[in-house]
Amino acid sequence: MDVLDLARLQFAVTGSLHFLFVALTLGLAPLVAIMNTRYVRTGNPEHERMTRFWGQIYVTNYALGIVTGLVMEFQFGMSWSGLSHYAGDVFGAPLAIETLVAFFLESTFLGLWIFGWHRLPKRLHLACIWLVTLTAYASAFWIMVANSFLQNPAGATVQGDRLALTDFGALLGNPTLVMALPHVLSAGLLTAGCVVMGASAYQLFRRTAERAFFTTSLRIGVVTAFVGGFLTVGFGYAQFGFVETAQPDKWSANTLAGIGLGSMQTIGETLQLITFLLLACVKWLPRWRWAQPVLMLLTPLPFIALVLGWIAREEGRQPWLIYGKLTVADALTPGLTAGQIMLSFLAFVGVLGMLAVVDYLLIARLIRRGPALIALGEQPVLTLSASRL
Amino acid sequence: MEILWFGILAVLLAGYFALEGFDIGVGLLLPFTGERDRAVGAIAPFVLANEVWLVALAGVLFGAFPVLEGEVLSGLYPVVVGLLVSWVVRDAGLWFRRRLDGSGWRSFWTGAVAAGSLGLALSWGGVIAGITGAPALLGVAYGVVVALVFAFHGWTFLAWRLPGEAVAQGASRTGRGLALSAAVAVAPVVAPLAVLASDVLGEAAPSATLSVLSLMVLPVVPLMVGAQIWVWRVFRRGAVPTFF
Repeated sequence: MDVLDLARLQFAVTGSLHFLFVALTLGLAPLVAIMNTRYVRTGNPEHERMTRFWGQIYVTNYALGIVTGLVMEFQFGMSWSGLSHYAGDVFGAPLAIETLVAFFLESTFLGLWIFGWHRLPKRLHLACIWLVTLTAYASAFWIMVANSFLQNPAGATVQGDRLALTDFGALLGNPTLVMALPHVLSAGLLTAGCVVMGASAYQLFRRTAERAFFTTSLRIGVVTAFVGGFLTVGFGYAQFGFVETAQPDKWSANTLAGIGLGSMQTIGETLQLITFLLLACVKWLPRWRWAQPVLMLLTPLPFIALVLGWIAREEGRQPWLIYGKLTVADALTPGLTAGQIMLSFLAFVGVLGMLAVVDYLLIARLIRRGPALIALGEQPVLTLSASRL
Repeated sequence: MEILWFGILAVLLAGYFALEGFDIGVGLLLPFTGERDRAVGAIAPFVLANEVWLVALAGVLFGAFPVLEGEVLSGLYPVVVGLLVSWVVRDAGLWFRRRLDGSGWRSFWTGAVAAGSLGLALSWGGVIAGITGAPALLGVAYGVVVALVFAFHGWTFLAWRLPGEAVAQGASRTGRGLALSAAVAVAPVVAPLAVLASDVLGEAAPSATLSVLSLMVLPVVPLMVGAQIWVWRVFRRGAVPTFF
């Protein structure tokens, strides 16, 4: 593999890892926010336990979303300085807005939510998780604006040897964005729904002591997965018209893109059908022990589909980085050496890969242990009384 | 407009050193204190609100000074790799150290926090030396200076946040003392930035791009500032959380 291949692979691996964690974050955030709302409105401790348990899984997943995202953000300048040189005046804007308007607030409010249990008034604490959800969705919007510009460089004109931003409205109204954004957000819901469903099925299958807790959770998971799956497939098909116009040979010219698309469609439609059937018998699922292993086995499917969809979208614009304007090869940082890219590849992929494995094991352990011992939102213990015990 | 966005860049960079400086400093001090859980707990509610200043800084660099972003990040390639890996390791240490019981697990990830913090401080030395065109060896020396300055800031923060405890004996425990140590923490980066100001300004994006950025970002600034102040109001006193 040469420098270009390694740089591409590095971006693809870190990007896919980031997406796996971010998609679950996007799907779980509104669920946790709704659970928290129910707790604040009713005062029912069972709702508090649900918020804390699924919230703990949400934040454990979030940790890897942050660290993979950091590496993504800096990689643009490190490996692809040709992109910032040629199109930074356009492409940089949505990314800058994302970091300031969305992620800056998301991270700040997430800290307030995680550490603000029993310290903030309940309603303000609840407002924090809703603000986290809102800014996470805003984040997804701006990132997809930036990505859609690569797919179809709307709103920009060539001036001299560079692209200039001439129509911000066109950048935001990019046809490759309009249906892709809800497609991605729905895929997040589908993913979160399947995780909640699979985890609850596992607990019920093991004849959990927390039967009521996981019965409710299972139903939340099934409904979320169905709604997410239905919308994901719908917004997926709705994109074909735009893609046909913007990138006519997207699926035919790139074998990998075609395979990615086909496999993603198969998984998506299978999940749509299964979640529809599950929704029809959601009342009985918690008691149907024979069905629960099937629900567990579904859990990895949306994750696989996420990566396949990403491969389809990004492989399909090859060899372009900005479709029709700048090739991936031309965007590579001039003078980037094999040694440099090898070093960073091993460092990023090695460290992030190991952390991702650890993180998933921790999430699996949280699910196995159930809601009895959850660190998030624990009552603060006074050091004085602790030392007396 | 260029001056406004250079100002935002400067505020974010200085803010990062003033805020994340004490998180990194406390990380550096962990091997030398017996009160590791208390020390990590003290910074924990601030870390997410502090580290995000660098994310925003990189965003502004990309949006408002894109050519510079490409040149700086690719020009300082190995140092930036070091900075990112250290940052990732430090963050993983914080998120993971209490996720399993057992002293071995916690010691390991506490070590990751300390090692990551050291890597961050040294990498910043390298970055500053790199952008000012100083030789690599000077970067290492400058990294040691940054580490010492951050450690002092972290030590002062612990004294301020945990009054009446054994940790950070001898440091000033007042808010004024913390402000002073923040100023010390910012010093290593402000001087080079002032020297480079005219070079940075010359690399600004065209006014059409900067106008869009201003239009989208400036209305949200009060909310960003408000959220940051809220963090300080909520977590300056009271029980030390045990989540990280």
